[in-house]
Amino acid sequence: MTPTHLGRRSPPAGTAAPTLAVSVVVPVSERPEPLDELYREFADVLRRRGWDFEFLFVLEPWGGSLAERLQPLVDAGEPVTVLIGGQTMGEAALLKLAAGYCRGAVVVTLPPYYRVEANAVIGLVERVEEGVDLAVARRWPRHDSWLNRLQNRVFHALLATSVRGRRFRDVACGVRAMRRDVLAELPLYGEFFRFLPVLAQHEGFVVEERDYPQDRRDRPRRLHGPGVYFRRLIDLLGVFFLLRFTQKPLRFFGLMGGTLTAFGGTILVVLFVQRLQGQGMANRPLLLLGVLLVVLGLQAIALGLVGEIIVHVHAATRPGYRLRPSGPPDRDAEAPLERVRAVPESLPSSGPRT
Amino acid sequence: MGQPAPLVPELLNPGAVSRADSMVSVVVPVYNEADSVGPLIDRTRSALTALPAWELVIVDDGSDDATAHLVAEAATEDPRVRLVRLARNFGQTAALQAGFDRSHGDVVVSMDGDLQNDPADIPVLVATLEEGYDLVAGYRVRRQDRLFRRKIPSWIANRMIAAITGVSIRDNGCSLKAYRRALLDRLYLYSDMHRFIPGLAVATAGARIAERPVRHHPRRFGMSKYGLNRIAKVLADLLTLVMIRSFRERPLRLFVYLSVTCGLIGALFAGLSLFAFDGTSSDSMTAFVLPGTALLWFGTAGFMIMLGLVSEVALWQERSVAVAVTKLATLRAGVRGRGP
Repeated sequence: MTPTHLGRRSPPAGTAAPTLAVSVVVPVSERPEPLDELYREFADVLRRRGWDFEFLFVLEPWGGSLAERLQPLVDAGEPVTVLIGGQTMGEAALLKLAAGYCRGAVVVTLPPYYRVEANAVIGLVERVEEGVDLAVARRWPRHDSWLNRLQNRVFHALLATSVRGRRFRDVACGVRAMRRDVLAELPLYGEFFRFLPVLAQHEGFVVEERDYPQDRRDRPRRLHGPGVYFRRLIDLLGVFFLLRFTQKPLRFFGLMGGTLTAFGGTILVVLFVQRLQGQGMANRPLLLLGVLLVVLGLQAIALGLVGEIIVHVHAATRPGYRLRPSGPPDRDAEAPLERVRAVPESLPSSGPRT
Repeated sequence: MGQPAPLVPELLNPGAVSRADSMVSVVVPVYNEADSVGPLIDRTRSALTALPAWELVIVDDGSDDATAHLVAEAATEDPRVRLVRLARNFGQTAALQAGFDRSHGDVVVSMDGDLQNDPADIPVLVATLEEGYDLVAGYRVRRQDRLFRRKIPSWIANRMIAAITGVSIRDNGCSLKAYRRALLDRLYLYSDMHRFIPGLAVATAGARIAERPVRHHPRRFGMSKYGLNRIAKVLADLLTLVMIRSFRERPLRLFVYLSVTCGLIGALFAGLSLFAFDGTSSDSMTAFVLPGTALLWFGTAGFMIMLGLVSEVALWQERSVAVAVTKLATLRAGVRGRGP
């Protein structure tokens, strides 16, 4: 069940007390920039600041050749650990996997590309040490094409419709610093790693977005295939529902279903009144539309009921709140929750592979 | 050698915990009530002097004024006052549940933080609880609220809740209630379920409920934090409650009932379409519309059955966990009962 290691074979350290200042996690789920160069650039900055740090490169199983490139670093005694997942699992699972191995008090996530200048990491980590739970970088000022910027604007405007609290302007940047327990506790799966700052804020963590100049080498594609845009829209719909209605699915489905049923019902009433006035009903296609709307509405409401069943059964195992970790002392703040929490088996890995 | 102490004293001997030994926890969710918390703490303190042991657990639901600061100050002076802070504004239900989870008493009293409830009513509710109830709900006499915006909607809501849940409570909107710990251990509040605690308590835990009149003061500070758009939400929550009450353990039955209903309506239309084609008046439109309508209903009937099966899957996945939690909760109630 454990992933393959390269470098220091430390056991999962995520539950022990942190022994380092910073753990840098680099999840690699796409073809990256040369990882050793990336390491040198960022390690340099951290070293100059005088922090103890480690790098964790988390690779998909196809990343064996990337790991070879890191082997010289490991051999040279650099603080580099490479984790290779047992199966293709996507960025969210890569992050979750790394969370169990981090030994730093602060965890920095870094995409395997150059997004912002390396100095940004210092500022972000310092903000976390000052008490922010999660500090994320925003690429600003930007110097990629206006088309990229426009897409970014539209995406975040859509995102803002479902987010309460602070708005974000660059959730996809991927350069973030957080306390180690924040990463461990976030409900992260599937495509929702993109929305990590949003989810963290929703959980009640203090999140801050800070501006750092975009790196000159950050050249995202101007236009993606239509499938990419479609998938982003699906993600936005997912996050909208997750943030707003996970505790009350019937409100969402009930609103949709109620509206449909009301429209359909109105049509049927009109038809019925006209039938009483002598006009035929069975030969009018409008009857079909009315019944269709009513039936669709009922189906939506029934789906909402299924959602409520799931929420009700889950309510016993997942507390619907989070206590504030800092601030004025609550004498019980350290006591464990008196609720049994279901600990999901987060890693669907199928044994080591090389 | 005396007899070994029973593992679960409360369960084996319900009367074993005398009132002198028990602690009363007063749980108050507050959101931006900086003006009210000071008087609230003072009044609670003077109202509870007769009780042997009590604590006041104030749950700060993500206030952005000085509320938490004031409570923290009071807590350093008087250890019976405790502050529980939520990380953000999670809503009244979550705040209540947080207070329940973080309080120690065998008896728990919930109350509003805006001084409209009177802490002087707490001893009466607690005494009533001791008569053998699991939940004592207060109802407000001479309610000090707007007639049209608050009183009439809540009158209608109370009637509907009573009719639908079968639990007749005069005033579901009154936060002042007293609970036995054993009940709270079996009650999981989520979403906006704080409005239906009595209904939920009977539906999922078989609670015995009593009611007592309580005082109600006009609002002195701050704004009322409710709006009229609650009605649609309350309706959705009521529907949920009905379903939970009757079909919590057997959702397939609910969906089969729905399916049969849809199937019958479909059969009606199918019959009509047969009737319409007796050979004399064959109208091409009728031949299209009536069977089509029947098919829509039949399709929905099938859909409902599939939904029922899916909900059984959801239950099956979760049930083992839920049972384990119930057992732990019962044990914990017993352990807590032995303490001072």
